[in-house]
Formats: sequence, C-alpha cells, structure tokens
Amino acid sequence: MANSVAHDEYQTPKLVPNHVRDDNWSVLLKRVSQQDEQAFAEVFAHFAPLLKGFCQSSKTFLAEEAAEELVQEVMIKVWQKAPYFDPTRASASTWIFTIARNARIDYLRKYAKHNINSSPVETEDIWDESTDNQPFVFMKQNREEKEVAALLSSLPSEQSRCIKKVYMEGKSHTEIANELQLPLGTVKSRVRLGLLKLQTHSIFSAR
Amino acid sequence: MANYHPTDNTLAEFSAGSLAWALSIPVSAHLELCPECKQKVAEYNTVGGSVLQQANPISVKENSFEQLMTRIKTNKQIPTNPNDDKKPDEQALDERTRHLPRVIQKLVPKNKPLKWSSLTPKLKSALLTSGQNKYEVRFLKIKSGGKVAEHDHTGLEVTLVLEGSFSDANGIYAPGDYIEQKPGEIHKPIAAQNQDCLCLLISEGPVKLTGLIGKIVNPFLSITPQ
Repeated sequence: MANSVAHDEYQTPKLVPNHVRDDNWSVLLKRVSQQDEQAFAEVFAHFAPLLKGFCQSSKTFLAEEAAEELVQEVMIKVWQKAPYFDPTRASASTWIFTIARNARIDYLRKYAKHNINSSPVETEDIWDESTDNQPFVFMKQNREEKEVAALLSSLPSEQSRCIKKVYMEGKSHTEIANELQLPLGTVKSRVRLGLLKLQTHSIFSAR
Repeated sequence: MANYHPTDNTLAEFSAGSLAWALSIPVSAHLELCPECKQKVAEYNTVGGSVLQQANPISVKENSFEQLMTRIKTNKQIPTNPNDDKKPDEQALDERTRHLPRVIQKLVPKNKPLKWSSLTPKLKSALLTSGQNKYEVRFLKIKSGGKVAEHDHTGLEVTLVLEGSFSDANGIYAPGDYIEQKPGEIHKPIAAQNQDCLCLLISEGPVKLTGLIGKIVNPFLSITPQ
C-alpha cells in the first residue's frame, strides 16, 4: 500500500521541526474520500486558516467575506475530489495548493468581469491536475516537500521573497517588478535562480 | 518530443496561476505533449505547497465548518466516485480535433465549422474565443511549402505547433514546440513541403510586415481578442 511505504521511508527532516507529517494528511484525505467527516474536520482545522492567510495575501486583497467564501470553495473541492488524491504523486498540501490556485484563478476572472460564461475553456481544462495526466516519477514527493519548505527559507532573501510573491500572492513577474521597482530581468533571474537552487539540492531527484 | 519549450519563468508563472489566461492555453497544450515540462511544473507545484504550509494562518469564522457541511449535504450533485465524474462531452468531441491536446479541443466550437479566412492562397486563419480580452487567439494554417511574409511583432506572440512543421532562420518547429516572439524579433516562416502546418497563435498585438508591402498593409492590421 502506497501510504505505508511512504510512512516507512519517512525520515524526520532536520530543518523543519514541529511540522505535522504530510503522510498523516494523506491518510486523512484517504478517509475523506470515504466521506469520513471527522477526518475532514481535521483537514479543515489545519488547512482552512492557512488557506485564508493564503487568500488574503493575494494580489487583489480579498475582504474577509471573500476570503471566507474562497476557503469554502476550496474545501468543498477537497471533499469532492478527495477520491482523486494520490499520495504517491503529490503531497496533501501541494494537492490542496493546486485546488486553491485554480479557485483563485476562477475568482479573479469572475471579479475582473471577464465573460467567463462564454469561455469554452474552463480553469480545470488549462490547469489539469487529474491523475491520468501525471507522470509516474513522483514517488518521493511527501518527503521532498519538507525539504523544499526548509530550503525555501534558506534561500537568499531577495530570491525567496520573489518566489513567495509568485506563489503566495499570485503575481506575475511584471507585477512584482513594478511593485519592487526592479527591472523585469532582475525579478526573472531571482525566481529562476531560486527555483534552480531548490532543484539542485537533490530534492527533485526522483527523476 | 518537443524541442522548444516555455522558459522556467513561464512555467513557474503557470504553476502559480499568474500567467495570463490566453498564454496559459499553449503552455497547457505543450505540457500534454512534453513530459519534461510537465514534470517541472509538478516540481514547481511543490513550491506552491510549501508556501501554502508556510502561510500565516488566519482563523476562519467559528461556524465555518458547520456551514461547509450544510452546503455539502444540501448539494446533491457532488460526485463521490471518480467514475461518476466523466465529462459528458467526452464522446461528443469532434473527429476533426481528436488528435490534438485536450485543451485545444476545447477551444474548437462544437458542431460548428471553424470560420477560416484566407490571408494569402497559402495562408489562412480562424479566430477563436477563449474568454479574455487581452490577446488574440487563433489557428493559423500554412499550406505545405507556403511562406509567410517576413514580419516583426508589435507585442508578445506565442506559437504552438499542432500539426506538420515550419521553419525560420532559427530552427525547425514540430508538433508540441512552443515559440515565443517579442517585438523586434523578425522572422519569415516557411511550412514544410510534405504537410500543411497548423499552429495555435496567441498575439498581444498585430504583426508588422517588413519591407515595402508593410508600408501599405500595416495600417490595416489589428488584433481581435475574445
């Protein structure tokens, strides 16, 4: 069973203490897929406040009501899509991140009054995370993500700052360049160098 | 296998969801055809997961979970089994586009012919609706051996090759190849002799023909984002 293998192989990361292990979340999500409300309540208690913090740091600052609504949208999707969650391919928080990212895209498009009803393409057609579409090389994800988190905080601050703006605030490189009053090329190289360091630290060695 | 790829920066913007809607379409189609870039985006998603874990938690309202469960229980359409969720239009997909990446199939209007307009005898294009208002999205078809007049770009232009191949002074491009062109990058594409070439073209501004013909035609060129 994939879960138990991930569990056996798991080693406590040195740099991130006090972190709930991701494989616990994987087990909980598996229970959520069987409509276990108690498990869902635990997932909610941990991720809902993180998601709200994540939503409220978005580039279009979301009022409290909107952030609450977005959290609900994301958690409904977590409940609905739990049967698709595959812990051998992505950790729980990466999987929930992709759901939150798609919900944020939907929300911002609605907010910007794009004519989304006439669009033949939906967010999930473009950002398709369905498992039949994933490569089969991501066996060590659970452990690696801890290392990514640790390495992210060990990056030079200008690099981690740009990467966090990209992911947390959902800003394009151009928007970050304008905000920090930096040339676009500088922002691009900071993001690229930061991501490259995350990769060369052998965390993505599952290739 | 594709030889021309989006940059790491573009893949990161895609993974974070900050890449413009229209530009995300050819990236998504490229990912369906390029396992390496698909893998890279999966890695970048992990960065997103770590950032989410490190977000500053903000307490949700006290009754938030109860509200959520009420919504879930009153919504009968929620699927509980992955097999219940098969997309209904999967079978209705057009024979014409079955071989194309799924996201491209979505762009083609169902049961309706594409409105092709000829630019030259060897070159035609069909405007596509994608639900945004910044970039023009269209199919471009160059007949085998057809040449496109030498042109510059007035805004960002992304080309994704879908069928056949074309070449310019910088290389030969085959299905899955993703080519980004910025203003000042002048090229003169030619389709291969053996097959028509179909591309998806995303343009921020109209092309600018170089040379004398450009002086006459350029004032009439524009884009239609939709």
